[in-house]
Amino acid sequence: MDNTERFTIDLNRPLLKDGPNFLSHTVVIKRHIAYLRPTITSMLFCMVYIVVGSFLMALAAHLIMEAHKYDLIIFVGAFGVAITTFGVLLIRPFLQRASFNKKSGVFDNKKDRDVKLHHIDSLQINNKIIQRKNALSYQCFELNMLTQHGRRINILNHNNQQQLMLDALLLSTFLKVEIQDYRREIIL
Amino acid sequence: MRKTRELMSLFLLAFSTSAMAEEMSAFSKMINGISESVDGFFNDYTGWFVGLIFKSVPVGEASFPIIVGWLLLAAIIFTVYFGFIQFKRAGMAINIIKGKYTDPNSKEEGEVSHFQALTTALSGTVGLGNIAGVGAALAIGGPGATFWMIVCGLLGMASKFCECTLGVKYRTVLPSGAISGGPMYYLSQGLSEKGFAGLGKALAIGFALMCILGSLGGGNMFQANQAHAMLTYAFDVPSEYGIITGIVMACLVFSVIVGGMPSIASVTERVVPWMAALYIGMAVIVIGANIGQVIPAFASIIDGAFTGAGVAGGIVGALIQGLKRATFSNEAGVGSAAIAHSAVKTKEPITEGLVSLLEPFIDTVVICTMTALVITIAGLNVAPFDGSGLTGVTLTAASFTATAGIFKYLLALAVVLFAFSTMISWSYYGLKAWTYLFGEGKKVELVFKLIFCVFVVVGATIQFGAVIDFSDAAIFAMSIFNIIGLYFLMPIVKKELQSFIARIDSGEIKTYDTKSK
Repeated sequence: MDNTERFTIDLNRPLLKDGPNFLSHTVVIKRHIAYLRPTITSMLFCMVYIVVGSFLMALAAHLIMEAHKYDLIIFVGAFGVAITTFGVLLIRPFLQRASFNKKSGVFDNKKDRDVKLHHIDSLQINNKIIQRKNALSYQCFELNMLTQHGRRINILNHNNQQQLMLDALLLSTFLKVEIQDYRREIIL
Repeated sequence: MRKTRELMSLFLLAFSTSAMAEEMSAFSKMINGISESVDGFFNDYTGWFVGLIFKSVPVGEASFPIIVGWLLLAAIIFTVYFGFIQFKRAGMAINIIKGKYTDPNSKEEGEVSHFQALTTALSGTVGLGNIAGVGAALAIGGPGATFWMIVCGLLGMASKFCECTLGVKYRTVLPSGAISGGPMYYLSQGLSEKGFAGLGKALAIGFALMCILGSLGGGNMFQANQAHAMLTYAFDVPSEYGIITGIVMACLVFSVIVGGMPSIASVTERVVPWMAALYIGMAVIVIGANIGQVIPAFASIIDGAFTGAGVAGGIVGALIQGLKRATFSNEAGVGSAAIAHSAVKTKEPITEGLVSLLEPFIDTVVICTMTALVITIAGLNVAPFDGSGLTGVTLTAASFTATAGIFKYLLALAVVLFAFSTMISWSYYGLKAWTYLFGEGKKVELVFKLIFCVFVVVGATIQFGAVIDFSDAAIFAMSIFNIIGLYFLMPIVKKELQSFIARIDSGEIKTYDTKSK
């Protein structure tokens, strides 16, 4: 009796539904490590929330000393905490560097289970259109990897096609795996 | 004795005033100075535009703005031309939402149902127009303005049907892959098909220009201004601190529209429907708690509509305010909804038109009436209705607070979030118009986005009068160009409607059982 089940992995499908409308990360290779470095722009956009939230919290602290308007203090303070928390949550993934380490032989993105580098089968490039109700829709690109066990893990997800192609090339040379281009024409 | 008491009170007043003056820091004075100069600048430089758009003709004791008549006449013409579609085909619109004409097995990945589309659109429609707009209408037009708002809502359903159908029919896919639609496209392409290419192009350009102004006015400054007015009312924040509210909001708007951060847009999209539900819930509580006063409130609405008692200009005065605020709230005939609806996934433009006609009904006939009932029941809006007392968002907030004190805080939260989400929506409309005029490109788009953020600060800083006048004028100006085009293109919509109905009748468009779902 054959107990093995067959699964089909659709490499045409993007892994993530959403994606930013800017270049979020670039690939940097330093000797035996290749890692994803967040761009200054993406960090700045996250920092806006932290700065605004901190300002509101400082304002609430100032009001405690000056005005004693407790309802206003709670309102401003709560908004400050919410916006700062949001900013911190947003910036956290950017600070956790995903890396491919040839010395330890693993890929670690601080999110998924580590992948042994020799288990990486190939890299794929996918494209998608991000549609929003109240914003211009835009193209976004993914660089994903496929492991020999059939896992697909996202490496890059942003809208700068040129940079993504460059980074894909860098990584494929570093990992000595092939790149498969699954970009397609999307008809809405 | 009386003289001594008067002297004492004068002394106390002088003391308290001087104490307050001492407390007023140099920072506060500086902000006040900036606010005044910005307000003055705005008054001087946009006054001519406001005067031009609201050019009036004397009707009895009142002056009737021609633009209000223009919108009303258009809504009447569309209602008659489409055979009272808002009443005759309301059932069909509900059936589309229920999925009667959609194969339940054919839903594509990522496709949203018409019901989802309607709830999304509604959560975007419920906003400051329903809160601040109704407050402003009743403060100047008395309770009778409500009646005319309802009339405008009912007639506006036909205008919205017409423009949203055309928005989908003439949408285009840009080289970037983005779908772009709205009056700019149906005016230029639709009129070109009819042999009026030059006129179509001129109308499209005119509309795009006004849409940019509208996005900076009603879609931006009015929102920021009313958000700060609400904070002033709920928390006693000095009005001159509007610049702080403006800067905070501008930073957040900047991060969304310039940064394109997906997360904040998703958070807003998720929070706003809950805010809409919260607002409706509060209104239901107020009405329920004062159920005995609902009949007298309706009586004063009807009475005010036909007597115009206490309103400058009588019936006409009440009618003008009702029509103005209803248009501001449901945007029927303005053309903005056509931009939003054009991105929907559908093969039948008419279905989107039919679904969209329900929006003015829910927005104006249901929700605005609820706000008006809350205000009328509270009894804080008393004659003469000249706007000198509580007005706009503060009148609405005070009326809610009359039932439960906590409502002012919940309303403050809702108003700030509504203002934020509306700004994001209108930045999109404005950007569409901007790219239509100046082309797509990162630098071109960035210029508009930065201007938009600056106007958030300006809107929160300047005073009510200048903002609301400019906001109104810019939004109404959009309708001038849009409606001219709609007159030319309405036969196309009628043809689409007839074809859709014929295909349903012949069985070409299959119907599906909605009960089994």
